[in-house]
Amino acid sequence: MTAETVLYILVSGVVLGSLYALMAVGLALVWTTLGIFNFAHGMFITLGAYFAWTVADGNGLGWGLAAGIAFSVAALAALGCLAEAVLVRPFLKRDNLVLVAVITTLAAATFLENATLLSRGGRSKQLAPLAEGNISMFGIGLSAHEAAIVVIAPLILYSVWLFLQRTRTGSALRAIAQNQEAALLAGIPVARLYALSFALAASLAGLVGIFLGGIKFMSPSMGTDPMVKALVVVIFGGIASISGPIRAAYVIGLLEAVCIYSIGIYWTQAALFVVMIAVLMIRPTGLFGGQRA
Amino acid sequence: MQKLLEVDKLASGYGRIQIVRDISFSLATGECLGLFGPNGHGKSTLLKAISGLLPCWSGSIRFAGQTISNASPRKIVEAGLILVPQGNQLFPEMTVGETLRLGAFANAARAEEASNLERAYSIFPRLKERDRQQVWSLSGGERQMVAIGVGLMGNPKLLILDEPTLGLAPRIKDELCDAIGAVSKHGVPLVVVEQDVEFLLGLVDRLILIDHGSAVREFSAANSIGHDEIMDMYFGDGKVA
Ligand SMILES: Nc1ncnc2c1ncn2[C@@H]1O[C@H](COP(=O)(O)OP(=O)(O)O)[C@@H](O)[C@H]1O
Ligand SMILES: [Mg+2]
Repeated sequence: MTAETVLYILVSGVVLGSLYALMAVGLALVWTTLGIFNFAHGMFITLGAYFAWTVADGNGLGWGLAAGIAFSVAALAALGCLAEAVLVRPFLKRDNLVLVAVITTLAAATFLENATLLSRGGRSKQLAPLAEGNISMFGIGLSAHEAAIVVIAPLILYSVWLFLQRTRTGSALRAIAQNQEAALLAGIPVARLYALSFALAASLAGLVGIFLGGIKFMSPSMGTDPMVKALVVVIFGGIASISGPIRAAYVIGLLEAVCIYSIGIYWTQAALFVVMIAVLMIRPTGLFGGQRA
Repeated sequence: MQKLLEVDKLASGYGRIQIVRDISFSLATGECLGLFGPNGHGKSTLLKAISGLLPCWSGSIRFAGQTISNASPRKIVEAGLILVPQGNQLFPEMTVGETLRLGAFANAARAEEASNLERAYSIFPRLKERDRQQVWSLSGGERQMVAIGVGLMGNPKLLILDEPTLGLAPRIKDELCDAIGAVSKHGVPLVVVEQDVEFLLGLVDRLILIDHGSAVREFSAANSIGHDEIMDMYFGDGKVA
């Protein structure tokens, strides 16, 4: 293997890992704060791309990509709040919340997917890339769009981390995840932070949609595969934290790039699952989960 | 005298199971109150209802001039009534310092955050030493200190402690009892649930015996009461003269 090949594998691994990390962090956020798995997360990805396209593309409003991204992220935040209020809040006091939330979020995902299909049609669309052209560095070439993802994704993840670690509100979000009753007794507005957690997760999913929309053709079901991948990443990384899934995302991204190069795309998914199952058998709390005694 | 807390014929419980049965008591401004009674008779349940964690089925609770029955825990905390619950595990993956600062999350507590932190550190010097340590790695006694510290950070007009020395070794228990005495000396009115009635007698002005979800007896701590009498209240019919 030449140095260029290694570098190429590394870069494509980091591109994949960045996307997975952005997908997974929103899921993990909702999981840790509310204790539910949000099956509408994939539709947030899809809608992120479609909202941006509608505002940005010449066949829509034609206001350009920057406006599209701004609108999409804001709209997803609002949609996240709405989803929490409609799909989760009415059932918070129920013992079977986890199961009810599976049903309500799946129902919402189906509804939104069909609504997207009806209003936007099944014809594939493509979003403008974040940056045009190609970049070549150290003898390998990648699209400027992918290069932008590699730079922007860690910045976004770092901002999320800073928000969670360094701000009072972020601290309160983590507190809710660790002990809801103690959080209530400290005067933390738990219900409001649930909405915030959903809004943040939805916005991050929207960004993933925008990034994907510049790589692949968009379709109403484009969020499904990424969501499944994100779920796997979250479980693999250790569902009890935010940083576990982020690190796991990059591990899986790199692993996937190695597999694609060495055994081909056809066997890659199966190989990934084998590795993950093996890891979970040895570390049931996930690769980066349950590190403390 | 002006009342700080008035609980009137309060009923509450879990789901459909009633635990607290028509409890009434009140607390004058500046007074400290002790609650005791056998395990499993509704002391913690009563405190959860007062702090908004459980619904009030009937009756009413007034605190500092406002009705707080069925208000949200957040509203009650903002009003200045702070509960340190029994066996609080707090936030295991946070540092002591971060946990204490979260105690000042309420708007009503923000302005006093620095002075309350100072006060918490002066009462529990150990917490200052362990400021950067994660809560999960603390001993039971230290965790209880953080829990009370979090309560103090809420700038309480009334601090309620539910069995603060439960399960602690004798030496650390004495240390904690002294610290609770210091909290009271700082002028924070307390309601304390304890099994150790002798500790309560030295701390509070008045004691209430909770039995089968009811307040069955109330007496002033000033009237000295004998060990036998207390044992009788625990194991007798709870209605001894
Ligand atoms: N979360 C709960 N759900 C149902 N019942 C409970 C719960 N917590 C406590 N109980 C019951 O309520 C009763 C009173 O408990 P508690 O208020 O904790 O008593 P105490 O604090 O006086 O020891 C007990 O019978 C206990 O089993
Ligand atoms: Mg109790």
